[in-house]
Amino acid sequence: MKYSEINCQQAQILIMGKIDGELPAEENRILDEHLAVCSKCKYEYERFVQLKKGTSEMKFEILPEVQWDAYWDQVYNKIERGIGWILFSIGFILVASFWGYQALEGFFMDPKQPTILKIGVGALTLGLIFLFVSVLREKLMVKKVDKYRSVQR
Amino acid sequence: MVKKVKMSITKFSNEKDAILACQSGQIEAYRYLVEKYKTRAYHTALMFTKNRDDALDLSQEAFVHAYRAIDRFDPQKNFYTWFYRILKNLCINYVNHKRNTRKVKEQIGRDKVTDFTGNSADNPEQIFEQNERSQLLWNALNALKDNDREIIILKDFDGMSYAEIADTLGIPAGSVMSRLYYARQRLLRKLEKIDEVF
Repeated sequence: MKYSEINCQQAQILIMGKIDGELPAEENRILDEHLAVCSKCKYEYERFVQLKKGTSEMKFEILPEVQWDAYWDQVYNKIERGIGWILFSIGFILVASFWGYQALEGFFMDPKQPTILKIGVGALTLGLIFLFVSVLREKLMVKKVDKYRSVQR
Repeated sequence: MVKKVKMSITKFSNEKDAILACQSGQIEAYRYLVEKYKTRAYHTALMFTKNRDDALDLSQEAFVHAYRAIDRFDPQKNFYTWFYRILKNLCINYVNHKRNTRKVKEQIGRDKVTDFTGNSADNPEQIFEQNERSQLLWNALNALKDNDREIIILKDFDGMSYAEIADTLGIPAGSVMSRLYYARQRLLRKLEKIDEVF
């Protein structure tokens, strides 16, 4: 009986490289020698070849060309909309903060009011503005992408 | 500010040039990458979501996420393996969200659960060309654990090399073959239970 340089466990791992075409020539030779003398591994090898053949024959359903044609435009629009949202959010926060400051200018300028209160009111107003922008964005985005909104409750 | 410059995607002869152009703010350069990988991205998303519309939407969303993060990407590295991780995370989040929503609805017991997304969620005929053998394989693949299914999909459907798989999964290159062996072994066992052909 011919001698094999590898045992069955090593051969079975190398079989993967062989069927995937990733085995270096020397290891391929060693595996071939093993397969020539080991019927158990030869059988395993044939099963994996069959499996590989099966997966390589699985063909995805072809998408209509029109969907591929529009693909880049849709990605582009999403990117641009994201940038638009960032600019909108920053602009809205700045403008609303300015209006808030103007509305409360008397309070902020009043030396009788304690500083801690001024900081608290400032943080509260700014927080409300941020929350408003965040909720507004969420509402609009969820309305656009939520696939479950049509589910009857 | 992003400018939509009319530019042929053939201007970029390689991926690295396109990535560098994206990093310098040329959004049209990104088209080269999107056109190159859109089919792979869609098919990968399809394997997770099993639904065409969701796969299209999520693959596009992944390209958007990748574009926003492209400044942090090292152009010396493989774009698709990096992109794959973004896509995978999006798909997993989406599938988990869908699963949790389904659970809630099952608990409430008010809605018809099987087709609430409006699509045939697990129907392989919508994903693969009609073929009995493909259907058997798809059923067996879906019966595998996520890790096993993923490595088989990366190799046999995504066509990644062992080096790319190692990079994508963050595992040593030497263990790709053994991981594939055990995953395929389990797939064969599942197939044997379903059909005698394999």
